Amino acid sequence: MKIYQVALKEIGKRKMRTLYTSFGIAVAVSMLISVMITASSGQKEVFNVIARYGHSLTITPVDNKTSQSLKNFGIGTGSYIPESALPDILKVYQDAIVAGWEKMGALIFQEGTIGIAGASFPPPTFAPRLYEETTIKGKDVIVGGVVLDKELVARFWWDIDNGRFMENDKEIIVGKLFATLTQTKPGDTLEVGNTKMTVTGVLRETDSPDDYMVFTSLKACQMIFNKQGKISMINVRAMCPKCPVGEAAVEINKKVLGVRATSQMEIATAQSQIFQKTTALIVSFVVASLIISCIGVFNIIMGSIHGRMREIGLLKALGASKNQLVRFFLYEAVLIGVTGGIIGFALGGALSHIVGPILFKDIVIQISPRFLVIAVLLGTMASVIASIYPAFYASKIRVTEAFKSL
Amino acid sequence: MIDIHDIWKIYDVGGQKIEALKSVNLTIEKGSFISIVGHSGSGKTTLLSVLGGLTKPSKGSVRINGTDIWTLNDRQLSAMRNEKIGFIFQFSSLIPTLRAIDNVALPVIYANGGKKANRSAVYEYAEELLSTLGLSHKLQSFPSELSGGQQRRVSIARAFINRPAIILADEPTGDLDTQSEEEVMEFFSRINEQDHTTFLLVTHNLGLARMTDKVHTMKDGMLNSNNGGNPA
Repeated sequence: MKIYQVALKEIGKRKMRTLYTSFGIAVAVSMLISVMITASSGQKEVFNVIARYGHSLTITPVDNKTSQSLKNFGIGTGSYIPESALPDILKVYQDAIVAGWEKMGALIFQEGTIGIAGASFPPPTFAPRLYEETTIKGKDVIVGGVVLDKELVARFWWDIDNGRFMENDKEIIVGKLFATLTQTKPGDTLEVGNTKMTVTGVLRETDSPDDYMVFTSLKACQMIFNKQGKISMINVRAMCPKCPVGEAAVEINKKVLGVRATSQMEIATAQSQIFQKTTALIVSFVVASLIISCIGVFNIIMGSIHGRMREIGLLKALGASKNQLVRFFLYEAVLIGVTGGIIGFALGGALSHIVGPILFKDIVIQISPRFLVIAVLLGTMASVIASIYPAFYASKIRVTEAFKSL
Repeated sequence: MIDIHDIWKIYDVGGQKIEALKSVNLTIEKGSFISIVGHSGSGKTTLLSVLGGLTKPSKGSVRINGTDIWTLNDRQLSAMRNEKIGFIFQFSSLIPTLRAIDNVALPVIYANGGKKANRSAVYEYAEELLSTLGLSHKLQSFPSELSGGQQRRVSIARAFINRPAIILADEPTGDLDTQSEEEVMEFFSRINEQDHTTFLLVTHNLGLARMTDKVHTMKDGMLNSNNGGNPA
């Protein structure tokens, strides 16, 4: 038998005290782990989206004719960008991205994507839209003409709630709110301008103006409203997370007349910073609770030592040195910490499944084994730190004092 | 050989000086079997603690085989207590979370952290000691499952596990009936004769003291010597 085995037997015999002490550690560790898991999964989700689609850029015509009522929706009609200008805009964009990479030192940021002149990087997605105002079923509504395959990249959150997306120029999909207000469902026929179109699906709610719009193909929209070769705006997805989209926006504004490009990267960066600061704030609260747990463990262990004065005195009388007694109590602390860490990991994992979906819609909670390692290390560290003073205190107890406590 | 020279132990209790030991001198030859008798509070347990390296004297020296034990550091003193001395305390002194046989083997754990111990040999000897003391059927019992007398016999067995040169026993048969007391004393005598182990018993039981070779009396912290019932 070794000293750690004596400590193990001690813990085995005092299961309730050990569990009680471990639970104090476990609660704090579980909170920390749940925050870490949720933050990690949330960030991963954000990163996945950015990695998949990159930052976005909106290109609209310089606004001098847009009707005020529609502008409130963030949608401009009445001003157009010629469709023929698309290649020029794309070229300015591409050149600006390459120049931006060169300025950044052309760092390789992911396999197959190198930011040097002449080298390849993922092509952006330019999703043009044409907006036209009309009346359908007695309601004023905006018709959006889109290129569906590009639109599904630019608005990756689009999904069909009922039915399917349109497949030809005679088909149309409707926003959720419009469908509800006008009792429209897949299979219905809507008169758009003078053209009859078949509703193939209802768009899943997006909490955006899209919910009160109808969408058909760009070509169909141009034909119906006699706006061939015209578009109202272009939504650009960079398709790479670190492309210098902001610089591309500046270049487009400088070099392409009649359009205004707005980068949304700054918004995303600000959101990311708020997210990180909020996480840091929560972590600091949780660390404070870990310190409180340490104080709890300290009190329990000090109480335990006072209750075991005779035992400690006896161990000293039997030849235990100070060093051996310190080790004896630290072994106990490690076992309490490991137990607390494991319980904390389990509780934290469960908690993140509750908290995660509240904070992030559609979050996929990913519990990596490294969180178990972190939980056990944190639990052990907290327990050992809380036990250092009690362990040294116990080692300095004089045998005769211990025996007087009888 | 144990040489106690001019030992004083003075306690400060609420500003009042209490002299528990007053200039105690005693020489104990290797293999001696002696006892100290005296009333409660006469200082005999304090003398045992000073001799065993548990209580530091206010003045004087305790030499075991020529080494003044109170000049040793904590590690050396712990090692000395562990290897050379076997303690039998007057109160129940078992670790409640360990079984009887583990309690007996406990001092071996603290001898070099148990690194040099041959586990099977230690447990074999622990079993032999417990069997000799009539506890072969209680090896795996926890202290709470043992009577006061059985607990006392376990703590006696523990004192012998490291085959110490000196046994310091404070009222060693306090919880035992007459028959068990005689058996324990026979066991002590046998070990004393076989291994030349030095025994120092502290008791107020004169009958027990007479079974030793030499009896010392203590009164008010001072030691007087006279021959016991079985003079050497």
